[in-house]
Amino acid sequence: MPADLDDSYDQYAALLDAVRGIRWPARSTVRGGIPGAHNSRLRGISAEFTEYRPYRQGDDTRRVDWKLFARSDRAYIRLSNDRAIFPTMIVLDASASMAFPQATNAKWVLAAQLGVALGAIARHSGDPVGLAIAGEEPVLLVPRMRRSVTHELVRSVAATRPDCNAPLSPSVSIAAQYGGRLVVITDFLGDAEELLTVASRLVAAGREVHAVQVIASEEIDPPRDAAMVSDPEAPEMRRALTGDTRDSYVASYGAWRDRIAHEFTEAGVAYSTAIVGEESPDHLIRRITAPRGVAAAV
Amino acid sequence: MSFLAPGFLFASLAVAAAIVALHFIVTRQPRSAILPTARFVPDTRATAVARAKRPSDLLLMLLRVLAVVAAGAALAKPVLERSRAPDARVILVDLSRSARDSIAIRDSVRAIYRDGDAVVLFDSAARVIGGNVGDTLGALRPTTRRGNLSAALIAALRAGSALRDRAESFELVIVSPLAKEELDAATDSIRALWLGKAKLVRIGGSVVDTLPMTGRLEISADAGDPLQATVALARSAGAASGVVDRRDFRGVPARSVSESSSRGGETRIAWPASARPPGAVQRAVTDTVGGVMAGESVVVAAFERRWSYPADSVGGAEVIARWVDGEPAAIERPDGDACVRSVAIAVTPVGDLAIRRDFVRFVASLSGPCVATTSLMPADPSSVAKLQGIGGLTSREAFQPLSDVRSELAPWLLALALAAVIAELFVRRRRRDVLHAGNRPESHKARAA
Repeated sequence: MPADLDDSYDQYAALLDAVRGIRWPARSTVRGGIPGAHNSRLRGISAEFTEYRPYRQGDDTRRVDWKLFARSDRAYIRLSNDRAIFPTMIVLDASASMAFPQATNAKWVLAAQLGVALGAIARHSGDPVGLAIAGEEPVLLVPRMRRSVTHELVRSVAATRPDCNAPLSPSVSIAAQYGGRLVVITDFLGDAEELLTVASRLVAAGREVHAVQVIASEEIDPPRDAAMVSDPEAPEMRRALTGDTRDSYVASYGAWRDRIAHEFTEAGVAYSTAIVGEESPDHLIRRITAPRGVAAAV
Repeated sequence: MSFLAPGFLFASLAVAAAIVALHFIVTRQPRSAILPTARFVPDTRATAVARAKRPSDLLLMLLRVLAVVAAGAALAKPVLERSRAPDARVILVDLSRSARDSIAIRDSVRAIYRDGDAVVLFDSAARVIGGNVGDTLGALRPTTRRGNLSAALIAALRAGSALRDRAESFELVIVSPLAKEELDAATDSIRALWLGKAKLVRIGGSVVDTLPMTGRLEISADAGDPLQATVALARSAGAASGVVDRRDFRGVPARSVSESSSRGGETRIAWPASARPPGAVQRAVTDTVGGVMAGESVVVAAFERRWSYPADSVGGAEVIARWVDGEPAAIERPDGDACVRSVAIAVTPVGDLAIRRDFVRFVASLSGPCVATTSLMPADPSSVAKLQGIGGLTSREAFQPLSDVRSELAPWLLALALAAVIAELFVRRRRRDVLHAGNRPESHKARAA
């Protein structure tokens, strides 16, 4: 393992230890396939018994419960739940707006931690894990199940600088070709409308889509000192953030966040917010991976 | 130190105070910052109000205040106070044609002049001499121009203002023959502006006290010449002595005419009937003019103007009559003790011009004494008494400080203001570069590197 990868991996070591043991079940039954940890839509012949069904012509005679047939003189098929793997794709937004605050890049750091940790959790469940980074040089790691996947995630994230202005929705569309579960980690300050359209289509197609909105506390509550603020993705846009405009900004930004959360939730997307510094990353992970309707266990 | 124009200093102090105030309360552009959610900030004007509790930039403020105050002080003309002498003189030295005795002028001025005095030379114009006054006095020569005491007195007032910081009181000394022609209607009024008595040093003993204002007026003309009647009327009205020569001297130089005809003290008027007057040249295009004037005599009539006096003819001569458009109509040249007057006025035999009263007065005025003679006529005793005035020396407070006096400190203050402006420019540019570098995103810095 190269020395620089060691340094990068060390940054995630504590978080990976903290999330060890977390399970991330699929929010619904998955398609059948390679046996895995998630409930499959198919009923198979595993050892975990579920129910009997009368034999029908065409059923495999090997699945007839001959002992029951001997006792009842009726032919029943023994059914059990199948379990399958659930390929997971992590999609990271590496646009320039994620490099905020400039001094710490805290939004990008948190997004990278969430991506690596969620990937590691999925891999611990035996799921193939892939990564797509929508950056100046797009990164695509197809889902794999090998043990080095987590290292590959760390290496790819560490080599990425969030300084581009690329749209996110194409990367999501490409990633959707590989994974049954998509985790989009972004601040939605790029092509949110297109992203909502793609996510809605994927949900309608039976995919499990998670959307994690990364927010810096400075964005929610900017400093009260007057400043000429500019958008890193649109430097020509310069606005005066003063005492007069600050209240309007806070209200507008809050309304926009609420609208994003509402629209994505309505579309069937598992929407979460990750505010920098407000929660520890492992707590965020538990909240994101909690089954539907279950509060995260801290 | 005092300021000749303190208003500029006060104005600059007001501007400096405004600059200081602006550095405290100026609405300035706030710091630049990156905010990914900038799109949610209302799009208002690009500048924002930010009141500072301390000066926004102390060095810039000091440089700006220094530039403004230094420029204002330079325009206010600061002058250093000097020790003042008890008294000083302003000496008016007459170099006009009336003052013929240059030796007497030099001796009189040298006897009066002391270091620190101002010497004003005048004839038709006045000038204050500077530098080595002794050498200038040694080279004094009278000119041929008419003296003008009014101009000299104005120059004396200015000289007094220039000297007001060097002496406590001033005395006006006039070294002049005080001829009558040197005084005009404004002389008394201007003299009254100099408070106190003037010391008159009268030079040139050859001043003629009286001149015959009536005498023999003759004319040499053909029998049908209309000017015969005019001269006869002028003679009966008591014109001065003179000879009007109407002969045409075709091909004969004017000088030979005067030499052959002038007699001592006599005024000879060369007024050819149709030929070219002495010193005149034919005009390219003959035109008409509506009148002519000589002294106080004015004749309004249509004159045909065929001759003109070029500049080289007028040089050294005295213009004694002019057309209403200002061109010379008659000139006078000295000829020994006498003079020859060349008249280029055509007298038409048609009409009553020759017998009109205004034309007779005009001809009579042309027959007056020579200018060289009138320049020796002394001023009236009453005028001399007014010129001398009453009282003692004039206090320095009577003179207004000159607004155009040279301030030795002003150039240095202007240089200081210029240096402050240049320094302010550099400091401001440096601050701006630092500010831009501070606002540049890290990725841009990396790209720039």
